[in-house]
Amino acid sequence: MSFIDPLYPIFLITGFTVGFGHCIGMCGPIVVSLSLNLKDKNFLIPHLLYSAGRVVTYSILGGVMGVTGSFTLVASHIAGIQKGAMILAGILIIIMGLAMSGWISFGKVFGDSYNPGSFVSKGFQRLSRAKSPAAYFPIGLLLGLLPCGPVYTALLAAAGAGMKAAGPLEAIIKGMGVMLCFGLGTVPALFLVAKLADMGWLKKRELIYRIGAILMVAVGIYFIIKGIRY
Amino acid sequence: MKQNISTGRRQRYFAKTQVLKIALSFLILLGILVLSSVVARGPAMAADTMINCDAHKGVCSQSSGALTVSLEITPRPVKAMQDLVFKVSITGASPAEPPHIDLGMPAMKMGPNQVALKPTGPGTYEGTGVVVRCPSGKRTWFANVIVPGSGEVKFIFDVIY
Repeated sequence: MSFIDPLYPIFLITGFTVGFGHCIGMCGPIVVSLSLNLKDKNFLIPHLLYSAGRVVTYSILGGVMGVTGSFTLVASHIAGIQKGAMILAGILIIIMGLAMSGWISFGKVFGDSYNPGSFVSKGFQRLSRAKSPAAYFPIGLLLGLLPCGPVYTALLAAAGAGMKAAGPLEAIIKGMGVMLCFGLGTVPALFLVAKLADMGWLKKRELIYRIGAILMVAVGIYFIIKGIRY
Repeated sequence: MKQNISTGRRQRYFAKTQVLKIALSFLILLGILVLSSVVARGPAMAADTMINCDAHKGVCSQSSGALTVSLEITPRPVKAMQDLVFKVSITGASPAEPPHIDLGMPAMKMGPNQVALKPTGPGTYEGTGVVVRCPSGKRTWFANVIVPGSGEVKFIFDVIY
């Protein structure tokens, strides 16, 4: 039984190259939103946690792909969850944008039925403020579920690696390993985007927050429409 | 008097710098977004004019020098996110090793997605693979049939999401 697979370095490099192409395009707006939402806080830990959350989700999905050995079987089951994740990500980005701009209070967002003590309101408040770096980990976990072509390709490879494994444990570990490497490979590109959006004097401008908030709302709407049509 | 002039100049200089920084900040944000969309879109191309195979109708054939390759994908119509059978026939070459197919999108890098082919008869091969769904909505894919020692032939086709 060997837990080492030649696919690991291949998908580490794939994640790295795809990261600087596809991921910047698809996840770049999310990362910029997260960076702007941090305002004057240090970007390093929150973005590390966001990436860790994403990589954990990828690894779990890889493990499931590996043990089932069937991409299409698992993909058909998670399609609904991914659609929901895309819509939820859109809502989250819009709320973060609105909260960041300070244009609309949560009372207005939730209308007359807004109850500041309710579980949902508290949860949204926490996510929208995201002041604590720890909040970025669950955001990463959620956004790791976003449907994405290169992620599907890596999951396909994870299922293939699982099929060739000698037993279920090896299949899980190989599937997880492929997705872990792929996820780690995507981190540098998204970190670069986060760093660009984190430039100190750029973040100190009130106007930038206004523009950023409008862009975040636009990106959120785009995600919701994509999610509904997916 | 001199001091007043100097303070005024300093204020004007400061105001100018502020405006420049705000303009630059706006441009950087805009640049990140434009770059994002350009990078995601990939090289500009007229996808429709590049399609050389209607995979939904049946067998497609393409040649490269002496090599002629036919490709059939089933079940039809060819849909993404389902198991597909790729049947390949080769004439004009006798490869020592079985060929394989690289699947990808002309407009976007999707990572390595290879279909291993097994011989089913003289010059005929078969393998299973999956065309994944791209959330961008783009539907044009390619299947690059690589024949070891003889070359490669690319089929560009549309899939259904």
